[in-house]
Amino acid sequence: MSATLTAPALDGAQVKRASRLPRLLSLTSVAVAVGLAVSMLVESNTVMSLLTQAVIYAVFALGLGFLLKQNGMVSFGHALFFGLSGYLVGVGASLTGSVGTVVVLTIAGIGFFAFALALVIVRVPGIAFGMLTLAIGQSFYVLVSKSRGVTGGADGMSIEFPPRVFGLEIGAFQDPASMFLISWLALVALVLALSLLLGTRFGPLTEAIRENEERVRFIGFRTLLPRAVVFAISAMVTAVGGALSALYTGFVSPESLHWSVSGTVLIMVVLGGSRTLWGPAVGAVVYYLFRDYVGEHTTHWMGIFGVSLIAVIVLWPAGIAGGVMHAVERIKRGSGRHA
Amino acid sequence: MTMTYALEAKGLSVRYGGVTANDGVSMRIAPGEIRGLIGPNGAGKSTFIDALSGRRATAAGSVHLAGRDITALGVVERRLLGLSRSFQRTSIFPGMRIGAQMELAASKIPDADADEVMRELGLDRFADRHANEIGYGDQRRLDIALALVGRPSVLLLDEPMAGLSIEESMKLARHLRELARHWGVSVLLVEHDMEVVFGISDSITVLETGKLLAEGAPAEIRAHPKVREAYLGSAA
Ligand SMILES: Nc1ncnc2c1ncn2[C@@H]1O[C@H](COP(=O)(O)OP(=O)(O)O)[C@@H](O)[C@H]1O
Ligand SMILES: [Mg+2]
Repeated sequence: MSATLTAPALDGAQVKRASRLPRLLSLTSVAVAVGLAVSMLVESNTVMSLLTQAVIYAVFALGLGFLLKQNGMVSFGHALFFGLSGYLVGVGASLTGSVGTVVVLTIAGIGFFAFALALVIVRVPGIAFGMLTLAIGQSFYVLVSKSRGVTGGADGMSIEFPPRVFGLEIGAFQDPASMFLISWLALVALVLALSLLLGTRFGPLTEAIRENEERVRFIGFRTLLPRAVVFAISAMVTAVGGALSALYTGFVSPESLHWSVSGTVLIMVVLGGSRTLWGPAVGAVVYYLFRDYVGEHTTHWMGIFGVSLIAVIVLWPAGIAGGVMHAVERIKRGSGRHA
Repeated sequence: MTMTYALEAKGLSVRYGGVTANDGVSMRIAPGEIRGLIGPNGAGKSTFIDALSGRRATAAGSVHLAGRDITALGVVERRLLGLSRSFQRTSIFPGMRIGAQMELAASKIPDADADEVMRELGLDRFADRHANEIGYGDQRRLDIALALVGRPSVLLLDEPMAGLSIEESMKLARHLRELARHWGVSVLLVEHDMEVVFGISDSITVLETGKLLAEGAPAEIRAHPKVREAYLGSAA
């Protein structure tokens, strides 16, 4: 009876969902335009190669930040997925000419591997989870360093790519000017894909699990699978970064799996802020620009960086992205009052 | 004639190491019944709710929902079968918008209406606010609202009035009556406020040190000598 009386009105949440897609698409177009502009305006090869490296690590940071944002978990071993991806692409390229297929299979394979791993390790809480990821990452580092036959051991491995990859000349991946744009487009596409994913029920579900896992079960959802899926997606995004890096440099070394790489990217995530998807990517770019700029003037850049990082964390606990969002909200509220 | 109870516990025991927090507790709740559960602090009331809702493993006994043995089922299955609960220590999603968490809770249950529950509990005006931005009383009601989504057949409430104003408590009590009368929801209500419990319950169960001490209509319990001695006397 009462059901026939209440008309199905469009509630606030539905309106918000409907207006999300156009906004996402326009933001994506802006991001693509920015990438095009940078690749056309910047002439210095040094700056371009710096930016290319920054964007590749921004993809890595996007993956690591996604795990923190949707799962509340800190991984100290994500370099495993970055480095392993590079090695798989390298070994694959030595076996077959269709590197595009190799890259796709590598990312899918790392997704499956990470999913299976996550089903076991995401049950481990807090710091212990971090330590576990560290241990797993380091054991792969040692494994790769020791397997001289396949990986070239501690010296690393040069990759022989065929002339064409993904329909482009291999040179396009190894020239900073074009590789910057390729990596940038990959980054933008990944941010868009993840935003769309979080617009489904998966977004609020994983957020709720991060906030209060037990209560999620008491509203009728199992939590292990969504958490494992978040981990797998995070690893796959990171693996995209690893594949881009291998394509760009034509070289992989065990160092790319080392825990210190995970630690550095974690710093980028914290610096950029993990409450938004794009925060960690911003953190990566700021990190590289800062290191380059300060590194030119002093050898103590790490110390200066550390102090600056502490300042950011104290001033903006939610990182650069958090500070920006806060400012935007204040401006919006302010203009709302005067309107 | 056999009656199908909305919820039935048979000889439930729960142990924490050496402590027996529930010792062979049995209880039958009819459809649409409001059952008060009282007892001194540490009597095992929260533990009983934990055992019924599947949060805590039982050492002995069984739990039946509408005649079906659910002892072996987990928290998620019990919730989806219509056995829902709130928490003594507020359990919500602090960093999420209230509308979003209510919608999430409704999304798993067919025909569940998050907006209706929010309106009924006076939470609709907070839909766009984060749960950590609202007052304590409102957070308590959010905890209950999350349990109410989808009109469960049995609702286990662990001290829902704690922290609410007298006015809010009265409103919630009326609301629970309404749920039981009109929707046939069975309510197991653990509550410290004796006036509320005696005023609202169809029958009352008294626990003491994990054991069932007495059970009956409010008037019987009020007059029960052992209850007076063990509990009401000291509380009054
Ligand atoms: N997690 C726990 N671990 C060990 N003992 C517990 C735990 N929870 C409760 N207890 C003990 O079990 C008994 C019953 O507690 P509880 O069910 O919380 O009582 P009530 O809700 O009636 O106050 C108490 O003696 C309490 O100390
Ligand atoms: Mg209690």
